[in-house]
Amino acid sequence: MSPKIDKKERLKKRLGLHLSMTVQEILDGLKQDPARPAEMDYFDAFFKRFIEPDREIVRSNGKKIIGIYCMSVPEELIYAAGALPVRLCSGSADAAEAGESYLPEVSCPMVKAAAGLSAVDVLPLYQSCDLVVIPATCDWKVKLGEIISEFVPVMMLDLPRIKHLENSRIFWYREILRLKKALEKINRTKITHKRLRGAISTIHAAQVEFNRFRQIRKKDVHVISGRDAIAIMNIYFFDDAPSWTAALTRLNDSLEKRIAERVRVTPKSAPRILLTGSPVVFPNWKIPQLIEETGGALVCDELCTSNRYLGDMVSMDEMQNEDILHSLADRYLLPCTCPIFSDTIDRRNRLLQMIEDYKIEGVVHHILKGCHPYDAELYSIEKELAAKGVSQLKIDTDYNPEDTEQIRTRMEAFIETLKGRRE
Amino acid sequence: MRVDRLRLFVQSVFFVFLIYGGAVGFDIGNAIPTMVCVYAENKVGQCFLYPFQRYLSVSLSVLLTTMGSMFLTYMITFSLWTLVFNKAWCGWACPLGFLQDLLTKLREALKIHPTRLSWMIRDKYQWVKYALLILLILLPMGIGNSIFGMPTFTENVAVPFCQICPGKPLLPLFTGDMSYIGIDFSSISSVIFSTLSMGILALFLTASFLKRRYLCSYCPMAAMLSLFQKFGFVSLKKDGQKCTRCNNCYHACPMDIREIADDRVRKNMVTQDCMLCMRCVEVCPEKDALRATFLGITIFPSTPEGFLKRQEKINKYYKLDRTDSAENIKCPRK
Repeated sequence: MSPKIDKKERLKKRLGLHLSMTVQEILDGLKQDPARPAEMDYFDAFFKRFIEPDREIVRSNGKKIIGIYCMSVPEELIYAAGALPVRLCSGSADAAEAGESYLPEVSCPMVKAAAGLSAVDVLPLYQSCDLVVIPATCDWKVKLGEIISEFVPVMMLDLPRIKHLENSRIFWYREILRLKKALEKINRTKITHKRLRGAISTIHAAQVEFNRFRQIRKKDVHVISGRDAIAIMNIYFFDDAPSWTAALTRLNDSLEKRIAERVRVTPKSAPRILLTGSPVVFPNWKIPQLIEETGGALVCDELCTSNRYLGDMVSMDEMQNEDILHSLADRYLLPCTCPIFSDTIDRRNRLLQMIEDYKIEGVVHHILKGCHPYDAELYSIEKELAAKGVSQLKIDTDYNPEDTEQIRTRMEAFIETLKGRRE
Repeated sequence: MRVDRLRLFVQSVFFVFLIYGGAVGFDIGNAIPTMVCVYAENKVGQCFLYPFQRYLSVSLSVLLTTMGSMFLTYMITFSLWTLVFNKAWCGWACPLGFLQDLLTKLREALKIHPTRLSWMIRDKYQWVKYALLILLILLPMGIGNSIFGMPTFTENVAVPFCQICPGKPLLPLFTGDMSYIGIDFSSISSVIFSTLSMGILALFLTASFLKRRYLCSYCPMAAMLSLFQKFGFVSLKKDGQKCTRCNNCYHACPMDIREIADDRVRKNMVTQDCMLCMRCVEVCPEKDALRATFLGITIFPSTPEGFLKRQEKINKYYKLDRTDSAENIKCPRK
């Protein structure tokens, strides 16, 4: 009689194997890219941890780990509590497959992947979090909490969808207070005024450095590939903010040298592309890679997993804690351009400003199957951008690499059109 | 802190100049668009509203003929003052505004949390300043003229607004004159006015202590100045496309003007309550999203560097050093 393998064990083995293969393939690809700055090694080391035997991605040095989803959970609060925030949004097609049984067919691959990784014990991070905070953003995230609460402690935050109302602001402020209490309880500490200010300063430092990175990408000389830019932010999810900032400072210094030496990663003639829409997370770098393989220069993105993340800086005005918490709550509600909110004006303004600042020639809308908010918003956004004469390409896709070649054909045609439009 | 400090300095210079300047012979006229109280002994000029009410109490035929040129000069002087400095009079010169800012400083020092009015209440009472403005025009006019054939009012209502303005009991105090504090029983109208005045004084001291610049939202001078808000040389401009709506400006605004963050269409952001204190420009982390201008020329733009510099100064002020930043926060016992 052959030894009977438990179904769970089998799932674990299969997901582990597939994940390793996917990550290994990406790492091999990165190695073959001669134009990459050496300073990217710091970030690559994190990706390598995905295939190490113990797969310990996050090294928290004894700090508690707070898992977060989306970009509406104030990291400043988590740092102030002495814990480490880790963003768990995943881009693994294999994990999405593993999570398929937990969610309906039409749901987006990101929540499927999150459910898969939480249920199957492959990456220990997903099950060892001391708390997972999920803002109830889109319909899938609303349900995700209950599904994964079987495996990890979960706290849901209710995010109001009509953000400009006073009621919404008060409501969200109270949600932030609730989160503060929960964090204080878990860490057995008090989030004091001084600690909060310190944490905000830490995030400010990261934001300042990331802003410098943005300014570098605005330059005419395209010195860093769009894929690497997304990779840097993907590592911010797992890393401690101060060490990430230090690594980015080193990278920025080297990039500024590259600008002076005019070292390009794409030919001068490459059309400048802006990528916007559904999240792009490691290891699903299909779209950014395709854009640059087909001759585009991905100089900017408006993704919640990249450029949008370290945006607006919180101001500290008065000395009272409540006042900072009000600023913090507003910062995580109002500037967010996620399409789950009722109006599109913020996102439209952001895109138009980016098109101006980064001298964009074409916009690529990335819509994951099941990511309804972006799809629903596309009509008005496309119309507004078209009115300003912006060329656009909409791509409906999945984490699955099967449609890569089809998208490649469309992307090639788009890039050629952009080049043709210049004459 | 930068702009706040500068403003506090300018305000205190103005306070001394406006309240004591007369003692050394300065006189800057009688059409000053800010609360230079006429009851303060050594004032340097006259608050626009006092002569305004006096002029209006003269019968219209006299005002427009024999006193015509005088009244015209007076109105033009006021218009010029206002046109050049716009609402900056409120934020940078007004002695009553300065006293309210000092009350705020006191509250901050005592670590008392600021109060914010709900939007509904704030919107509901915005008409008050216009109502006061209309009253301070109509009541004196009723003395010299018969409105719709009604009998004329007596001299008791000659300068109605000054009777209830908190400046009347408050500003003479700084020259040692306490005679306007208390209730005046000399006539029925004076009892009514002085009781109102004391009530408003109490409101001034308590409400402005709890909420920044509370009484400014009801000031008829602000209503008068806001007639010029579109044309003023000093102005506040916004580029809605650059705004990310982080709401920092709203939090910084002493007048709780939420349009500053929420309105992404309007270009001129000087609203009826704005006092051009420029705090919003200072806390804006987006390059050129907000700009203070003079005749269209940018004099103070918002920049990320400026934002960070301010944060650094605030941190220093509250004695936050590097050891408090998140990297050094010790994790609790497991």
